[in-house]
Amino acid sequence: MFLRFVAAAAIAAFTMPALAADQVEKAPPTGSYKKVSELVKLPDFLPGLGQLYVDPKTLPAGPFLAYDRDGRLVSTVYMLPIEDLANKDKRFDNLAAPGGKVDHVDVYYNAGHPGVEKPHAHVVLWHVSKTDEARVAAK
Amino acid sequence: MMLSRRHILGIGGVLLASPLYGRAAAQGASPQIEIRMQGNADGSQVWFDPIGIRIRPGQTIRWINLDPGNAHTSTAYHPQNDAHSLRIPERAAPWNSDYLLPQESFSVTFTLEGIYDYFCLPHEHAGMVGRIVVGQPSGPPAKGVASPAQPGTEPIPEAAVRAFPSVDEIMQRGIVRRT
Repeated sequence: MFLRFVAAAAIAAFTMPALAADQVEKAPPTGSYKKVSELVKLPDFLPGLGQLYVDPKTLPAGPFLAYDRDGRLVSTVYMLPIEDLANKDKRFDNLAAPGGKVDHVDVYYNAGHPGVEKPHAHVVLWHVSKTDEARVAAK
Repeated sequence: MMLSRRHILGIGGVLLASPLYGRAAAQGASPQIEIRMQGNADGSQVWFDPIGIRIRPGQTIRWINLDPGNAHTSTAYHPQNDAHSLRIPERAAPWNSDYLLPQESFSVTFTLEGIYDYFCLPHEHAGMVGRIVVGQPSGPPAKGVASPAQPGTEPIPEAAVRAFPSVDEIMQRGIVRRT
């Protein structure tokens, strides 16, 4: 059941056209996005994800926009609490997907962090190739 | 850069730790003990290492965040900390490190014998908890971790209940690491 929910969320995000006209290719994105490390106490650059921006109104799901050390967009991330995914009455509809072309998708469990303090799933829409994921790897 | 906040926990409440810690270190009487806050690369697992430890009264525990991709806290189970149940000696003062970024640390000196349970604020639901036994405690925490929540307090998440090492194991081994 959990995997069905996650797959549905990923497919929806894949196929949905960008809803906003914000500039998101380079950090910082325009519009209502704020740097996550300025909203909550987290490292500015998260190994494996990069530098994150989010519109606080969309928490906890996001989208979070993730940038490499040169400020180039690498992925769009959704953070979906496990307890919500297991709740038949809870849905995540119409999540924005402003990042453009998706190369591949990763879905994995995360134990939590400031801002999303309960276990949740990271749904990562990579806008770069698998090889280029190294742009946000730990140094 | 190593950042540090210090804190003394004892019968009379909370005091700044630097003078006492400096004196103890100079005398070599009570070496500081380190508990590491850790996580794996994708953030799917987080833990305290060791998860259980036995110390003498007067010894200092220093928590350090060695997880490059996350922030952690050391927070005592106490009603003053986000309405959690009381799981430290009644006369002991609670502590809360607040969020520690990578390489930041926080220290507490324990002067009162007993059993002290603590958790990480953003990771309690993922089972990131720890237990410290100071001296020869007269008994376990007032209630078992699986007991119903004390009135007005939050229940302990199932993952945290499962993670606590037993007092007996800590007493026998001195140090208990996550398996």
